[in-house]
Amino acid sequence: MGGCFSGDLQGGKQAIGGVQQRPTSTINNNAAHNDAVDFFFRSRGQFPLFSQIELSLSGSNLIDRDITSKSDPMAVMYLRKKDGKLEEIGRTEVILNNLNPKWIEKITVSFQFEAVQTLVFHVYDVDTRYHNVPVKTLKLKDQDFLGEATCVLSEIMTRPNRSVTLHLTGNFGAGVNRRLGTLLVQAEETIASKTVVEMNFRCINLDNKDLFSKSDPFIRISRIVENSGAVPICRTEVVDNNLNPVYRPVCLTMQQFGSKETPLVIECFDFNSSGNHELIGKTEKSVAELQRLCLQREVANFVYPSMVHDNKVLKGKLIVDRFEEKVQYSFLDYISSGFELNFMVAVDFTASNGDPRNSSSLHYIDPSGRLNSYQQAITEVGEVIQFYDSDRRFPAWGFGGRTSDGQVSHAFNLNGASYGDEVVGIEGIMAAYGNALRNVALAGPTLFSHVVDRAAHIASQSLSTNSPKYFVLLIITDGVLTDMAGTLDALVRASDLPLSVLIVGVGNADFKQMEILDADKGSRLESSTGRIATRDIVQFVPMREIHSGQVSVVQALLEELPGQFLSYVRSRKINPVGAPAV
Amino acid sequence: MTKTLEIDIRSAEGLKVNRRLIKRKTFAVVKIGDKSRISNLDESGESNPTWNHKSEITIDSCSNSGKQFIFIEVFYRTGSGRNKKIGEAKIPATDFMGRYSPEGHLNILSYRLRDEYGDKCGIVNVSIMVKPGSTEAIKDYGACSSQVRTESPSIDGYGGRIVTGVPVYCVIQRQS
Repeated sequence: MGGCFSGDLQGGKQAIGGVQQRPTSTINNNAAHNDAVDFFFRSRGQFPLFSQIELSLSGSNLIDRDITSKSDPMAVMYLRKKDGKLEEIGRTEVILNNLNPKWIEKITVSFQFEAVQTLVFHVYDVDTRYHNVPVKTLKLKDQDFLGEATCVLSEIMTRPNRSVTLHLTGNFGAGVNRRLGTLLVQAEETIASKTVVEMNFRCINLDNKDLFSKSDPFIRISRIVENSGAVPICRTEVVDNNLNPVYRPVCLTMQQFGSKETPLVIECFDFNSSGNHELIGKTEKSVAELQRLCLQREVANFVYPSMVHDNKVLKGKLIVDRFEEKVQYSFLDYISSGFELNFMVAVDFTASNGDPRNSSSLHYIDPSGRLNSYQQAITEVGEVIQFYDSDRRFPAWGFGGRTSDGQVSHAFNLNGASYGDEVVGIEGIMAAYGNALRNVALAGPTLFSHVVDRAAHIASQSLSTNSPKYFVLLIITDGVLTDMAGTLDALVRASDLPLSVLIVGVGNADFKQMEILDADKGSRLESSTGRIATRDIVQFVPMREIHSGQVSVVQALLEELPGQFLSYVRSRKINPVGAPAV
Repeated sequence: MTKTLEIDIRSAEGLKVNRRLIKRKTFAVVKIGDKSRISNLDESGESNPTWNHKSEITIDSCSNSGKQFIFIEVFYRTGSGRNKKIGEAKIPATDFMGRYSPEGHLNILSYRLRDEYGDKCGIVNVSIMVKPGSTEAIKDYGACSSQVRTESPSIDGYGGRIVTGVPVYCVIQRQS
C-alpha cells in the first residue's frame, strides 16, 4: 500500500458528519448550550441574548511534524475568559496525513452580543497511537503542537462573507518565526430546524484507481456556500476493495444541507492511506433532486472534471436506494407539549458516610445552614427537574439503613411513613432526609437494585395510563457498589422503560467501578440472564470533579438527559402530545 | 388462555462463528414450543444484519409447566446452500408479560446469542408486543351485546384499552 503508513487507518476510515442514528448523546462541541438547562433559565425570565454560531475550520500549509508521513492535524478551540484562562469549547476530528485539512466537525459557540468573545485556536498533530480514540478524550499535552491563532468572534461576524484567515504563530525556539501556515475560520448562524433526511447511497461501476486491488471508495457531500466554495458536511465510511459499494444510511439535518434546493456537491474518492485521496468522480445534486432520483428510480452519473474538454462522463453511477424525510422533534418540543418529567430520589444510608453527629460525616447537618453534599445534590438537581414535574410529589427512599424495626432495608421510605413514599417539594425531601437521619441507623452494604426496581415499577405503571411521563431517579451515594451483578440486572430490566438513572458520587471514594454502569465508555450493559440493555439509561458524575471546574452538577448530570429521553421516544415513534404523526 | 404476540425480529450485531465475524447471508427463527416463524434472508448486512421481520405467534400464558421461553435462533447460509446455526437466545416470558409490561406495550429487547459451546456470538434485537385482549373472550359476548368492539385499539402506544361493558346475564350463560 505504498511506503507512507499512517498508523491506525480505522479511525480515518469512519463516517463523519451525519446525525447519529441513536441519539444517546447530545451533540458534541456544543458550548454551554443544553436544551434542558436553557429552558429552565428562559422560564425564569432570563432570556439569553445570544444565537448559536457554527464554525467550520480549515488549515493550509501546516508544518509537517511526522517523519514518514504528513501531520495528522486536529484543531481545538478555546474561549479566553476574563482572567486570561482558556476554556475549551470544542474540537474537530483528526484528519490523517494532510497539511491542508478541511475539517468536517463543526464547533458551536453561543454568540453574545454584549460580550467580547476572544477565541483561541490551537492546532495539534495527533500521534498515531491516539488515532482510534474518541477525540474528546485526547490529552493535548501529549500531542505535537502545530500553531495557534486568535481572533474575536464579532470580528468574524461582521465580515461580508463571515470568514477570516488567521496566520498561525508559535514558539518553536531559535527566535525565528517559521511560516506555520494559516487557518480559515468560517462562521454560520444555525437556525434550529426539525427536518431530517435519511438516504441510502450505493454506487456502481466505479473506476479502478488502485494498482493491485480495487478502489476503496467513500463519498463526501459538500454544500456550496456563496463566495467561499464548498463546505463539506458529511462523509460516508470507506468500503474496501469494491467498485459497487453499498453504504450505511446517511442522516442529514436541514441545518447541514441548508434547504432542499441548495446544490450539494457529491464527490466519490478513492481512499489512500497517504492522505491523497484520488477523486473518482463527482456530481452536483440538491436534496430535492436526490429525492427525485430515488422516487423515479433514476441514477446520477459521475463526471470527472477535465480542463481540456468538457467534463468526462464516467460509467460510474450514484443510486439513492431510499430517501426518507422525517421531522425530528427536539426535547423542548416534547416538554412544551405536555410531557412530564417525574423526579425520584434515593439517599445512601450506609455506615461509610460516617456518624451524622460528627462534623466530618457526609451526613452532617451543619447548624449554620451550610448544605452537606447530599443536600447540595438534592437541591441542585431537584430544582431543575421539579420545574418539569407538575404535581411536585416526589417518591423518596433511603437504602442501606437499619430502620426502626431493626431490619436493614434497601428501599425504605424517607418520610418514615408506611402508607406511601411521596414527599411534597424539595423542602419535603430535605425535611424527610433530616428526619430519617435521626431515626435510621446507618448500616450497609451499598445496593442499588432495590431502589432501581422501585423506580422501574413506578415507571411501568405509567405505561398503562394515558399521560406521557418520563421518570428520573437520582441516586446519591458515597461508596462503591457491593453487588454489581444485581444492579446490572435491575438496570437492564429497567432499560426499556421511560426512566433515566442519574448517580452522583459524593465523598472521596474511588468511583472507577461506577463508570461501567455509565455505558458511554463501552458496551451495552448485560444482565446475568443474558438480556442486554435496550438503551443507556445511566449517567454517573462524581461530585468532587464538578466543583473544581466551571460546570455545575446540574449541567453535567442533565447533559445526557435530553438524549436519553429522545432515544426512548424516537425508538417508539412517540411524538409530542398533539403533534401530527410523521 | 392463549395470547397472541406480535414479534418483530429487528436486527443482530456482531455475529461471530469461531470467534470471527461472519460474512454470509443470515436469517433468524422464532420458536415457541413447536411453533416457529422464519425471517427473510439478509443478503448484505454480513455480521450486522437487519431483518425487520414482523410475525404473529401464540403463546400459552397460563402454562402449568413453569417458566415459558421464546427461542431466537440465528442461522447463516453456507456457500453450498446449507443452513448452519450461529447461536441462540432464550427469552423468558416474564420479560414481556410481567409486572413491567402491560398488554399492548411495545417491548424493545436485546439478548445475547450463545453458540452450542456456550460462547458469546453476538446480540439480537427484537420487539415483542402482547396483543391486548383475548380474541376468544370478545367473540363470546358478541352475540348478546349490541355495542361490541371486535378489536381493542391502543392509544399512543401506551397500551390504553377500551373495555366493553356486558350485561350480566350473558356472563352467566357463557360461563362453563
